[in-house]
Order: sequence, then structure tokens, then C-alpha cells
Amino acid sequence: MKELIVEIITPSKTAYKGEVKSITLPGTLGNFQVLFNHAPLLSSLEIGRIKIVEAKGNILEFVTSGGTVEILKNKVLVLADSVESVNEIDVERARQSYSRAKERLGSRKIDIDVLRAEASLQRALNRIKFAGAGL
Amino acid sequence: MATLRDIKRRIKGVKNTQQITKAMKMVAAARLRRAQENIINARPYSRKIAEVLSDLLNIEKNINNPLLTERKVENVAVVVVTSDRGLCGGFNMNVIRFVEDMLRNELSEFSANKKVQLYCVGKKGNDHFTKRPHKVAGSFPGIFSQLKFEFASGLVRELTLKFLSGEIDKVLIVYNEFRSVIQQKTTLEQLLPIKPFNKEEEKVIHAEYIYEPDKVGIIEKLLPKHLNAQFWRILLESYAAELGARMTAMDMATENAKELIRSLQLTYNKERQAAITKEIIEIVSGANALKES
Repeated sequence: MKELIVEIITPSKTAYKGEVKSITLPGTLGNFQVLFNHAPLLSSLEIGRIKIVEAKGNILEFVTSGGTVEILKNKVLVLADSVESVNEIDVERARQSYSRAKERLGSRKIDIDVLRAEASLQRALNRIKFAGAGL
Repeated sequence: MATLRDIKRRIKGVKNTQQITKAMKMVAAARLRRAQENIINARPYSRKIAEVLSDLLNIEKNINNPLLTERKVENVAVVVVTSDRGLCGGFNMNVIRFVEDMLRNELSEFSANKKVQLYCVGKKGNDHFTKRPHKVAGSFPGIFSQLKFEFASGLVRELTLKFLSGEIDKVLIVYNEFRSVIQQKTTLEQLLPIKPFNKEEEKVIHAEYIYEPDKVGIIEKLLPKHLNAQFWRILLESYAAELGARMTAMDMATENAKELIRSLQLTYNKERQAAITKEIIEIVSGANALKES
């Protein structure tokens, strides 16, 4: 078998498990693709998209809000904070959190958590972008 | 002496109670199954993170992260995990008593000087500790009806920030561990600083990894995630333990009600028989008296 085993695990469930041809991940140092016989790697992930080409040729896309990936002996283990399949994205909700985060960043109150609001903004943007919808 | 009608009324009342306890038991059982599933689903994540972390820390010995470093303890935070609702046997009392004991003994120095902050997760612990002269730094009632990972990560964030700013030097958690459906164990764990991982299963380092961005960066990213996962697991366990405790308590209450009904029914029957006998004797002796005259 010349296939990679991929497992995507989140705190609440195992989101995906299966044999794949390739998987593309949003690494901290940029997107990268993993194929069969990839060197052992440990990388943190950023907000972005995970794209999987299954052994049968199906293409699956997920959005993630970051995490970690371990690649060892043709086994790819993605420990994600959260993942959502692209078709399951609730665009309306993402838009709402987008405008909420924008508003918070816009207001000049001192006590707002800028880092958190920005992260929330990024996550919302990411969802909207990969759901193929506009703002 | 209770009259027949009184006994009948009591039987009816106990039966009603029995029905309620029975229903509560069923509800708890159904929820418990879901809660157990949640635990099982959460397990791979927390286990894997711990695995990767302990591997990394094994390789990278001289890491200097404050989250891992023990320091002189001046302020302690205790997270008390109880339930939101009662009727679950000694579930909450066990945790509360454990914490009270701890405050009196191991932590007496700190608690005397108000150097202990309590974080009450669940309504019952909050109800108890806010009425007493303890410093309750945070209360989170009503989270178990809709348990969310965001809650776990939010509280961990708050605790971590306070830990890093030096406001607290140690974070402990007291909760009910889910052993089995009928068994819970009050457990104390240390959340911060993170205790070194047990290295019983010395894993062979299979290969030289490529690290992106680098080892330290990954460790720094993983540590908070590890805390989140750990705290999340604790919440799930506590919830499952609560449901287990409630199931057992309600089962016992139903059994007790059954027993009570049985004995009341017996008294009722005896009473009824005595009344009938008395009536017959009265009639017979009345008839005899008429005959004789």
C-alpha cells in the first residue's frame, strides 16, 4: 500500500480517518503538502484549510483554527483545535462573528483583548473564504 | 393510630415520589451514555497531545518554560468542580468536604492569610463556598447543561494568565473522577505548574523529526493545548460521574420507595382486616344479644 494514513482529531471527536493520496496543511511556515514517504515532521498549524485527496480520488476540504501535526512513518496525525468540513460551514454565523470582531477591534476601549478579537476575525474570514461566499 | 384513609393517602404519595425518582434515574442513564461517549471521543486528543509533548520534552531537556517551572508558592488557586443540580447522593458533599479539609490542613497557612482563591465550577460548590469566609475568585454555575470546549479553554486561559503574571503560583483541581457508573472518586490534580510527564513507557525515538517552526515554538504552542485538553477531560469526567451518582441515588430512592409501599400496604391490609373483623363481631354480638332477650 502506497498510501498515507490520515487522522484528524479534535477535542470533541475524531473528524477524519482514512487512507489518502495527499494532504495539504496550513503550517506555521506556510502551506505544505504531504505525500507518501514524507520525512518525519512535527509542525504547528495556523488558521487555514486542510485539503485531502483520498485514495479513491475524492477531494475533501476542511477549515481549521490551528493545531499541530505529526508525520511519522506514513501516518499523519492532525491535532486540530477545531475542524469543519467546508460544506458544513455556517456562513451566516461566520459573517456575524466577523462583524462582531470588527466592531470590537474598531472600538477604542482599552479593556478589549486585541489578540483574541483578531484571532476571532481571522477564523471568521477563513470560514467565509473557503465556504466560497463573499462578505 | 393512622386511619385507613391516611394510610391510603400516604401510599399514593410515596408512589408519586417513586415515579419521579424512577423517571430521573432513566433520564440520568440516557444522559450518562452520551456523556461516556463524549469522554471516549475526547480521549485520543488529550492522550496524543500528552504523548507528543512528553516525547518532545524528553528530547529537549533544557527547556525553560514558566508553565513547567515550580516556584515558591505564595498564592494558590483551587478549582472546585461540582454539579449544577442536586439529588445525586454524596457527589457534591464529597468534593466540598475534601476542599474544606484541604483548606484546614495542607493549605491552612494560605487560607488563613486569604491566599487561596477558589474557582467554583458548578452551582453547588458556588452555593457552598460563597456563604463562607473563603475567597471565591470565579464562579461558573450552570455550565453543565451545555458543556462547551470554549468554556474549558476560557477558564484555562484566565488561570494561565494569572499564573504567568505571578498572581497565583499553583493551580489545583478537585473533582469527581469517573471510575464506573456506580463508582466515583474524589480526586486532586495539579494543573499548574505542569507536572513532568511520567516516563514509564520510554518510547524509542524513531526518527529525527523536522520541526516547524522549531522545538521550543512547538512546545510553547502545545502546552496550553495540553492544559485545555486536560481540563476538558476533567469536566467531562465530572459530568459523567454526576450522572452516575444520580443514577445510583435515584435507583436507591426507587428501591426505598418500593419497600416503603410494601410495608404501608401491609399495614393497610391489616388495618382493613381488623376493621372488618370488628364490624362482624359487632353485628354478631348484636344479633346474639337480640336472640337472648
